[in-house]
Amino acid sequence: MVAYIFRRLGILSVILFGSSFILYNLAAISGDPLEALRTSTDPNAKQQILALTRTLQLDVPPPLRYFLWLKGILAGFTGHIDFGKTRDAQLVTSAIATAVPTTIRLVFLATITAIVLGITIGIVTALRQYSRFDYAMTFVSFLMFSLPIFWVAVLLKEFLAIQFNNFLANPQIPIIWITGLSVASGVIWSAIISGDRKRVWQIFGVVALGTAALLTLLSLTSWFAKPGLGPIVVFGISIGIAYGVTQLSTGLQNKAALRSAQAMAVIALVLYYPNQWLFDHHANWLLIFAQLAATIGIAFVVGLKFAKIDRGPTIRTAAIAGFLIGIITLLDRFMQTWNPYMSTDAVNFRPIPTTGQVNPLLEPGNFWFTTLDILVHMILPTIALTLISFAGYIRYSRGTLLEVLNQDYIRTARAKGLNERTVIMRHAFRNTMIPLTTIMVVDFAGLIGGAIITERVFGWIGMGTLFNKAINSFDLNLLMAVFFITASLSVIANLVADLLYSALDPRIRAGKG
Amino acid sequence: MKLNRSAKVAFAVASVTALVLGVAAPAVAATRSTVIIVASNALTSLNPGTPDTNLVTNSDIAYLSGSGFTYYDDKKNLVRNTTFGTFKVVKNTNSDFRVQYTVNPGRLWSDGTPITGEDLLLSHILLSSDYSKAAGLGDPGDTKVVPAFNAGGYTGVYDNSIVGEPTLSSDKMSVTLRFSKKIPDWELYGPGPSAVHALVLMAEGKSKLGTVAENEAARDRFVKAFQTKDTATLKKIGKVWSEDFNINTINDKTNPLLLVSNGGFLVDSAVADQNVTLKLNPKYNSGPKTSGIETVVFKFISDGTAAAQALANKEIDVYQGQPTADAVAQLKAIKGVTVIGGTNACYEHVDVRVGAASGTTTTYNGPFAASSGQKGKDLRTAFLLAYPREEIVEKLIKPINSSATVVNSLFTLPGEAAYSKIVGPNGVSKYTAGTQEKRTATALALVKKHYPTAKAGSGSVKVKLLWGQPNNSRRASEAALVKAALAKAGFDVNTTGTSGWSGFLDDNSFDAQFFAWCPSSVTQTGTNANFQSDGGNNFLGYDNPALDKILHSLEVKLPDAQITAKYIQAERLLMADAISLPIFAHPAATAVNSDLIGIKPAPLTPNLVWNYWEWHY
Repeated sequence: MVAYIFRRLGILSVILFGSSFILYNLAAISGDPLEALRTSTDPNAKQQILALTRTLQLDVPPPLRYFLWLKGILAGFTGHIDFGKTRDAQLVTSAIATAVPTTIRLVFLATITAIVLGITIGIVTALRQYSRFDYAMTFVSFLMFSLPIFWVAVLLKEFLAIQFNNFLANPQIPIIWITGLSVASGVIWSAIISGDRKRVWQIFGVVALGTAALLTLLSLTSWFAKPGLGPIVVFGISIGIAYGVTQLSTGLQNKAALRSAQAMAVIALVLYYPNQWLFDHHANWLLIFAQLAATIGIAFVVGLKFAKIDRGPTIRTAAIAGFLIGIITLLDRFMQTWNPYMSTDAVNFRPIPTTGQVNPLLEPGNFWFTTLDILVHMILPTIALTLISFAGYIRYSRGTLLEVLNQDYIRTARAKGLNERTVIMRHAFRNTMIPLTTIMVVDFAGLIGGAIITERVFGWIGMGTLFNKAINSFDLNLLMAVFFITASLSVIANLVADLLYSALDPRIRAGKG
Repeated sequence: MKLNRSAKVAFAVASVTALVLGVAAPAVAATRSTVIIVASNALTSLNPGTPDTNLVTNSDIAYLSGSGFTYYDDKKNLVRNTTFGTFKVVKNTNSDFRVQYTVNPGRLWSDGTPITGEDLLLSHILLSSDYSKAAGLGDPGDTKVVPAFNAGGYTGVYDNSIVGEPTLSSDKMSVTLRFSKKIPDWELYGPGPSAVHALVLMAEGKSKLGTVAENEAARDRFVKAFQTKDTATLKKIGKVWSEDFNINTINDKTNPLLLVSNGGFLVDSAVADQNVTLKLNPKYNSGPKTSGIETVVFKFISDGTAAAQALANKEIDVYQGQPTADAVAQLKAIKGVTVIGGTNACYEHVDVRVGAASGTTTTYNGPFAASSGQKGKDLRTAFLLAYPREEIVEKLIKPINSSATVVNSLFTLPGEAAYSKIVGPNGVSKYTAGTQEKRTATALALVKKHYPTAKAGSGSVKVKLLWGQPNNSRRASEAALVKAALAKAGFDVNTTGTSGWSGFLDDNSFDAQFFAWCPSSVTQTGTNANFQSDGGNNFLGYDNPALDKILHSLEVKLPDAQITAKYIQAERLLMADAISLPIFAHPAATAVNSDLIGIKPAPLTPNLVWNYWEWHY
């Protein structure tokens, strides 16, 4: 195994060396870094050309200059890695150091959302194979797959930012929107739940009427300008979560698990006001993590209390339910922040921004304002990236689950008399995840490469922007640094994916051959 | 529940009152005091004076936070900032030309230290190679070693004509510079103030603002080091000046000494690669009074559509747009936004090669070569006659800037005072008379003289054209128009794009080239380097002793009327020899929040922010 890893690493370094040499030389002959200076009529343009030639060593021919660059990289083995300077005198390492967190912030959440959403929908479509919902999602996923991100971004900005901000000035939803949204949600839910014709119409009617009633209520109370859930709604949602989590985790017939999940909802209700006090007076990330830890602790105690035998699944159910309920409580707190945040001079009643990562005018100091500010800046890029990338996960997970469901061991499980939940969640879903893991690992490595277009249209300067800028200004050091990091990460991720695969799937052995 | 009559009346009255109050109550609109400007590149340094940091955003921020003796306005006039100080010629002979710069008393740095003439001395170190060499700070012309003060200003006019070192007056408020002759545009080469006390304190490792007494003592140490050429001290200061200002994150941990300045605004904070916030300088008295803006934010957005949507979402107030027809149409469609057209400092022109570029070893024997005598001249004339200048402006530039016109002078641009006096007498009429068809016919006749079989599309004369990067869509369209139009006059123009084109400007295998010159100042001799036989920008191999003589005579300060006369003579020679023709001034578009008053984009640096003190809502 160790020999295998070393052999792979050896091959990888050869690949890195060869590709970086080719890229360096191609990039060097593709353009002239002195273009702007050559067409300047400044009397001291000559001096500037000289200075830039001096800094970037342009008098050395590119194939040789590559080795000067390589020397700096290889110095990494002695702890003094040197990526050189960008052409505007910045250290490449510091440019990368600001870009990487930006890129991660941009792409990480979107990828997680895409994975969760994509796999969920993929599984539902596989279970409802050839249903209307399946066809609809297949259509939607191919549609999203083929949309160009810059166009999606422009539409999102127009409707979710500019128009939504205009709407907030007078947050009354027009009748036509209420009707449209109600019909749409009715169609979607009746397709997902499915059944005979009568059942479909029943579901459609209930969901459409419910949505219409909810939207009317939200519209009449100007909820979008002053949102909030309050303890009662939080409790209602918590009970819903308790049932949902129990169903997926252990099945509703496990009374101990159900009771403990419900107990978590009750505890959340009891602690609602104390939590608000904590949020108001001691808000920081430490508090949030402490509360998270406390939630897990309480779930543990509650699980022990309710479970007579088989404590693990009960504690797990309580913990997952507690975590989700905590998220809802936090969401409620952010909703309460919405209106004060919107009323600040910096935001001036236009809370959804179209560009940037933070509002430079917002006074620092208020935890909820600054966190909400970061979140609202992430909304549009996250939606855009999720929309175009979750389609892939739908297709992968649908295909894999369908394949797994046809396996002999699934038939055996069913023949054993296991209920459908256990067959799907325990036997089918877990095996579906094996090939998906490979895709995910490679996707995460790709994240660091950034999203050139997305970053550009949302005004985020991450790795993608650096790469683009480096190409356009013929900034070799910067270009090579971005290339080196993304290339190393992606080859390493491929290795990790291979190793993970063999660890997850006992039928595969890495090493010989 | 039944309501009785009076209750109903009371309810009606109450609701009507509430409604009236609600409608009639004046909307409390606080006056905005923030301007958010889109910058296309991020802040990389607070010091735009080094060759690597000389970028638009850096310069704009430095301009907002520093005031000096002069600035360019939107009409390209160099305006004197008399609030800060004055300057006058004190001696004017052929070999001894002296100018005295005096700082007005009472001007303050943002840390409260009074500004004096001593603060003007650093400029000399940044501009004079001789001083740098004499003080042991390194030779700025060396190709390997960076000088201690890595300034971008060496080898300019100042460097070539300064004599000795600036002298301080006895009250220390004035500095006198001595030049070897009366240089043209000498107003441009005056010193600027630098907070030298802050540099000294930083060189000594301090990271807190000093008291006024400490600061003045630190300044005295600088003056002493300057006068005695104390290499060790100056090198330390040079390191601070060249490197320490290269920061892009600014917060309360930043050394406050880096932020000491005398402009209307002070850099307050900066988030790397995202934005820079400047706040009003409470001690500002070095320039015109500001009009109510308290905060200026630079936000970095490189995408045109993103900036347009940010404008529509009221996230930004000012955006200098991408000058393309689509982008301008998009900006104009936004409600509450005014689009200001105009031009920037660059102008596109077409050149024809007549000989080997200066400094090259190969020779030029193409169709346009001066060595082929009358034939070369006829073909050059034909090439320029058939060049579709009007069509280019009409199809590519008018959609962006509806007031765009074909430029007809090589030395001046439309909007400059002398332009209308020059166009006409300069002989451009040869290339403007009649319609393009007629000119193309004349061109074809000229070609036929030497290639009797030439006709439209015959491609008798092969011409290799150099132009911009192939992915520059406007240049690509221009090249396509040129190819089509010149085919009608019997030319076969090879318009294959060239990557890294600017490195080929002195490549003698190209017969013609079109590109843009982008001057950063308006000077009497600004065009000299392009046409002088040994000029650094003479890529055409053009060598005309008569022209050299005229250009040489421009190198001393002349009255405006004489300058115009010389320009006319020079352009007549160039037009007659068919060397070069101007095409258009590059268009610019600035979209501004309609409530913001006073934005007047200027063609020269610092184009957008030059009059920040006039801005208000």
